[in-house]
Amino acid sequence: MTNIITHDILVVGAGLAGTWAAMTAGREGVADVGVLSKLHPLRSHSGAAQGGIAAALNNTRPVEGTGKRGPLEQIPPGDEDVDSWELHMFDTIKGSDWLGDQDVIEILVKDAPDILYEYEHMGCVFSRTPDGRIAQRRFGGHSAPRANYSADYTGHVLLHTIHEQALKHGVKFYSEWYCMDLIIEDNVCRGVIALDIETGELHTIRAKAVMFGTGGYGRAWKITSNATANTGDGVAIAYNAGVPLMDMEFVQFHPTGLYGKGILMSEACRGEGGYLRNGDGKRFMEDYAPDLMELAPRDLVSRSEQTEIEAGRGVGGDKMGIYLDMTHLGAEKIMERLPQVRELALEFLGVDIITDPVAIQPTAHYSMGGIPANADCEVLADADGNVVTGFYAAGEVACLSVHGANRLGTNSLLGASLFGRRAGIAMAKFIKDGAELYPINGDPAAASQAQIDHFKSDPIDGEPEKYSRIAAELKLIMTNKCGVFRDDARLREALEDIKALQERFKNARVMDKSNRFNNDVLGAIETDHLLTFSQVIVESGLARTESRGAHSRTDHTKRDDTDWLMHTMAHKNKEGNPDLSYKSVCVYFDRFPPQERKY
Amino acid sequence: MATNNTKEATIRVQRYNPDVDKKPYFEEFKLDVGADTTILDALEEVKGEQDGTVTFRRSCRHAICGSCAMNVNGSNMLVCNRRVEEVLDGKGTVTIKPLPYLPIIKDLVIDRTSFWEQYLRIKPWLVPPDDIPEKEFRMSAEEVKALHDAEQCIMCGACYSACTVVGMGKTYIGPHALLKATLRVMDPRDSATDERLLEISGSDGAYRCHTIFNCIDACPKNLNPTEAIETLRMLAIKRSSFVEARKERQKTLNDPIKH
Repeated sequence: MTNIITHDILVVGAGLAGTWAAMTAGREGVADVGVLSKLHPLRSHSGAAQGGIAAALNNTRPVEGTGKRGPLEQIPPGDEDVDSWELHMFDTIKGSDWLGDQDVIEILVKDAPDILYEYEHMGCVFSRTPDGRIAQRRFGGHSAPRANYSADYTGHVLLHTIHEQALKHGVKFYSEWYCMDLIIEDNVCRGVIALDIETGELHTIRAKAVMFGTGGYGRAWKITSNATANTGDGVAIAYNAGVPLMDMEFVQFHPTGLYGKGILMSEACRGEGGYLRNGDGKRFMEDYAPDLMELAPRDLVSRSEQTEIEAGRGVGGDKMGIYLDMTHLGAEKIMERLPQVRELALEFLGVDIITDPVAIQPTAHYSMGGIPANADCEVLADADGNVVTGFYAAGEVACLSVHGANRLGTNSLLGASLFGRRAGIAMAKFIKDGAELYPINGDPAAASQAQIDHFKSDPIDGEPEKYSRIAAELKLIMTNKCGVFRDDARLREALEDIKALQERFKNARVMDKSNRFNNDVLGAIETDHLLTFSQVIVESGLARTESRGAHSRTDHTKRDDTDWLMHTMAHKNKEGNPDLSYKSVCVYFDRFPPQERKY
Repeated sequence: MATNNTKEATIRVQRYNPDVDKKPYFEEFKLDVGADTTILDALEEVKGEQDGTVTFRRSCRHAICGSCAMNVNGSNMLVCNRRVEEVLDGKGTVTIKPLPYLPIIKDLVIDRTSFWEQYLRIKPWLVPPDDIPEKEFRMSAEEVKALHDAEQCIMCGACYSACTVVGMGKTYIGPHALLKATLRVMDPRDSATDERLLEISGSDGAYRCHTIFNCIDACPKNLNPTEAIETLRMLAIKRSSFVEARKERQKTLNDPIKH
């Protein structure tokens, strides 16, 4: 038997969602809160977010008479507001291509200003308007300037701020502990199995409430903005434990990843006025989104880029890039508002964006799909809305669904913070209402120990396979066959390829047989997760014979609200394959009925 | 830009697993690198293709998470945003060691316990004034600018483990935590100015700095902890008047900035 630890609340993941939840639960009076993170909490990928966090604060507006794309100024006291939660709500719904649940979106946009001010009161350092309010810039798909920012490292300052607050509230962090397994019996969550990475010891952590804030699954693609940690552990572990996954086919490709690298060049580059140009030097967005141009939503911009590239109008050695041109913005503005992206272009491609355009390409960025949860972040057990007792999810791992088929930039930092806070409140109430510590039967860590032993053993038949090669092949398959554009034939090929890789993975083994800080074993487990959820993505995408948001099929080019205005739910069946069912979308037909999505 | 022109490089890695090795030793790996191959790319290739036991930390790949600070050819740096080509010596070799002055957990993975203890010691969270406005506190562009260095710190430990004072003993608060302290001390919203300046004026604080500037050379974000330490020393000297000025400033924190 493993060592047993107990907590009232255990949070897995220490990014914005997890840390907000833990801090809030502590503040609400639950003293016994633990947070498990496979990295040190401050290494979490929330910190990589750059451009801003959305909230209709009405601090800035375009200078009068300069039109929608004119320069911004602070709104003088007493002047009319230009923004509202209703406008934010409409933009988010339209951005989601009507797949977002409107009841949850309403919470997101109404509570947004409150969470912004709370960050500010906690000491978050924001850029400012001349009269000292939080500065706001434009972002894609938002009809008013509502991206509140700290230069171009907004996620970094938010993450550090909330981590400090969690420390202040006495949250216990398990830094570099890896969640191996989730214990759910009779639809009640009872805890997790965790690996202390430094010692290699397994621990059973029992808790009355468990929350996943484990982030997204972008590492399944070759070109990605995601950190190496974003291997979708949370979705795979939950799915294996019998929890359904929702809308997994919806993966956002960000339009501006550094060419060949995928590293994020913030949307703030375009929010501050940057242009996209094809190989002919043309601002091609005029052919795709004549009104919003470069500030159309990300799915539309990435499709436009991909179309230009496939038509042979790309840039770079293999013509797979597009130019992001900021040379007209001037050194002063770039140094003040985009210092990080300037450094990145210089360091990785040797390009100074002040003087030269930089090559970019669509990069796998954000996972709209994930673990289904309601507005209190209680995880759903089925399409009818029944919940798994004591299991919560928030942030990118969760699918509530506020982002629907396509997330708007700056809504992720908002969603992670706000629903992390709501999860914290909901879990604190659950504990205070008398939640029980449910018993765990048998040796719950046996399966995790067997998994580790398996990777360290010799294959029964044949030669050991390198998991790193299998992961690399999977990423290529997902990029080439399940990327910006999809169709039946390519998705079917992808599914066959993935099944072949799953077969080969049975012989995948590690070279490091030690217990101490064995991230060779972790790499193998993470690869197992990639193979597990990638199959769900492809099968969910194959079934959805329409184009909606980030799921764009060249063989079904139109959105189909008659048959497909619904969420995909995938349950793992006995054979290990996903069984698909569907869940209705919350649409306020009187207020925000589905309409054609044009920009 | 991606290129097909590759050349062979030798990656010389310090290895050490305290459970089995008496002392650290070096191991060499040869691989082809391109013009845009980062040191991290090279380490990933070593681990993925040659030796899965080579152990290091990494995550974001673009110098914002702070995981991958190491010692390369004697200098502390992040390995994710530096290309192999810039660090190869005349023989085409680069030597990678863990951050110095810190206990080794395994290979290139060090134990940052003392680093985080000092971070916690300066109470990194804001202590806000009693009067919280309905909306945001008002701050001027100049006040925000004064916080830029400190707010950009990614807590990688490159400065800490380059500091000779840290090398002599782990009781020193250290450049990272002193830089963090300036984030709070310089912030008009913070109300714990007096307490903070007292803490950093103690025998483990700002006066322990020998002003050797190693921290500046080591910082992968081009920040200046030494300057922050100088600022703290100066403010500590005129602590009472600075605390009074802060109290005065906080009376107008809810008012629009006037120009």
